[in-house]
Amino acid sequence: MPSILLVVFVLQLAIHLVNTIGASTINSLLWVLYTRLLPSSSKASEEQTELKSQFMKVRKELNATSSQDEFAKWAKLRRQHDKLVEQLEKNKSSTDSTKTTFDSTVSTIRWIGTNGLRLFIQFWYSKQAMFWIPKGWVPYYAEWLLSFPRAPLGSVSVQAWGLACGAIVLLVSDAIVAIVSLAVGAGSQKAKEPMKVPSEKAAQGGTKKEL
Amino acid sequence: MSTALINTDDDQLEPTLQSILDQKTLRWIFVGGKGGVGKTTTSCSLAIQLAKVRRSVLLISTDPAHNLSDAFSQKFGKEARLVNGFTNLSAMEIDPNGSIQELMGQAEEGEGPAAGMGGMMQDLAFAIPGIDEAMSFAEVLKQVKSLSYETIIFDTAPTGHTLRFLQFPTVLEKALAKISQLSTQFGPMLNGLLGANGSLPNGANLNEMMEKLEGLRETISEVNTQFKDENLTTFVCVCIPEFLSLYETERMIQELASYGIDTHCIVVNQLLFPKAGSECEQCNARRKMQKKYLEQIEELYDEFNVVKMPLLVEEVRGKEKLEKFSEMLIHPYVPPAGGL
Repeated sequence: MPSILLVVFVLQLAIHLVNTIGASTINSLLWVLYTRLLPSSSKASEEQTELKSQFMKVRKELNATSSQDEFAKWAKLRRQHDKLVEQLEKNKSSTDSTKTTFDSTVSTIRWIGTNGLRLFIQFWYSKQAMFWIPKGWVPYYAEWLLSFPRAPLGSVSVQAWGLACGAIVLLVSDAIVAIVSLAVGAGSQKAKEPMKVPSEKAAQGGTKKEL
Repeated sequence: MSTALINTDDDQLEPTLQSILDQKTLRWIFVGGKGGVGKTTTSCSLAIQLAKVRRSVLLISTDPAHNLSDAFSQKFGKEARLVNGFTNLSAMEIDPNGSIQELMGQAEEGEGPAAGMGGMMQDLAFAIPGIDEAMSFAEVLKQVKSLSYETIIFDTAPTGHTLRFLQFPTVLEKALAKISQLSTQFGPMLNGLLGANGSLPNGANLNEMMEKLEGLRETISEVNTQFKDENLTTFVCVCIPEFLSLYETERMIQELASYGIDTHCIVVNQLLFPKAGSECEQCNARRKMQKKYLEQIEELYDEFNVVKMPLLVEEVRGKEKLEKFSEMLIHPYVPPAGGL
């Protein structure tokens, strides 16, 4: 059993990640993994892709066939086309329904795994001290706040620890984002600069030639 | 031996409507196609041929522009009437659009299938698309059933109309099933609102009305099952060898297939067969075009009986001409030798 301190930290990190990446992005990512990895569904999606390519082929051929000059061929293609459309729609609706159930399941699991777990831990360890702070480090009201709501006085409660972890995660992530954007901005500026110079030179060259 | 086996012409089905005459179980035969391709002539001819081999045949026109009277040079009405010169061939003309007014009128006098519905619910029921035609259709079928004809031929209205006509049993069944379901679910509540005897504002009775609708639904679903039985019902497509007609025919065949209605006969009408050395420029040009489409038809509909009917120099009207024309449905017309 890893330390509860670590668990709470990891949990806060996970919640933050989910919030920044976005639930729908995670869902679609998982959906892609699910369809790729599960043999039955990957086969179905492969079939769907094949159907689609076949459909496009038939459609192209249909458009290339003159209905007036080659009516029989055109009508046969048309029948094929209609059949494919019907099949595609049927497949699509079935995939859609599977996706909806998948999404709701994943959302539920994700909620239980993050916020649910957090609530549970906050409830379960509410009376326990995460760690003790040496006496006299902080004034009484701060001690009271740190042990809020039910942890023994003089200790840090799970809620306080969770908040602290959350704040740190937020700070660090903000810092990372800022650094990355700075680096990227600088990089792109650097990339732009050498582009400008030759264009200016070329322009100068152009004017020189004109002169 | 081997050449006979490879002979490709043999896999074409025989170019006659003999299969319909031979299929004794057939009870409903629909004749349909685009306007002006000769549906009425074909249906009259088919009726004449069927009358020779069946006990009794009824020819019904559901086309609002009635042509049966013209074809037989005899006035027909809403009641089945024997065709002059026949003992077992009757004809009638119904107007699917006009009969709804009559139904309403009947309902007000307390008769007919719509009787007992209050004005409000009547409006509601008639707001369901196609119900008017379906109701008149159900009426006709009830009549026809009691008349005990062996075979009934429908001369239908041009394509779009026909399909709508054949579609409503399905549409209506769905709509009525919904209504019945609603009435069973909310019936008790409605009854609570309406009082113990469930009378509607206009003096109609809710339960009675629901029973009526349910009865109508049953009739229609029965018709539906009959139409979807290939032993009982078939559809004869009439077309002319021209692009639009072919296009419509193909669409119709596909739609019929989606409704589950059997069709295995196509009558290609108005074929031109100019004599050898004919000087008629238009005829020859048209023959060339028709030939092109005929080839396409044969290629596409290889599982159908494709009957080829020539364009005559006179209008096919009256008993004798129709009889002569009808012969060609069974014994294929042989074009003059040496033509294009």
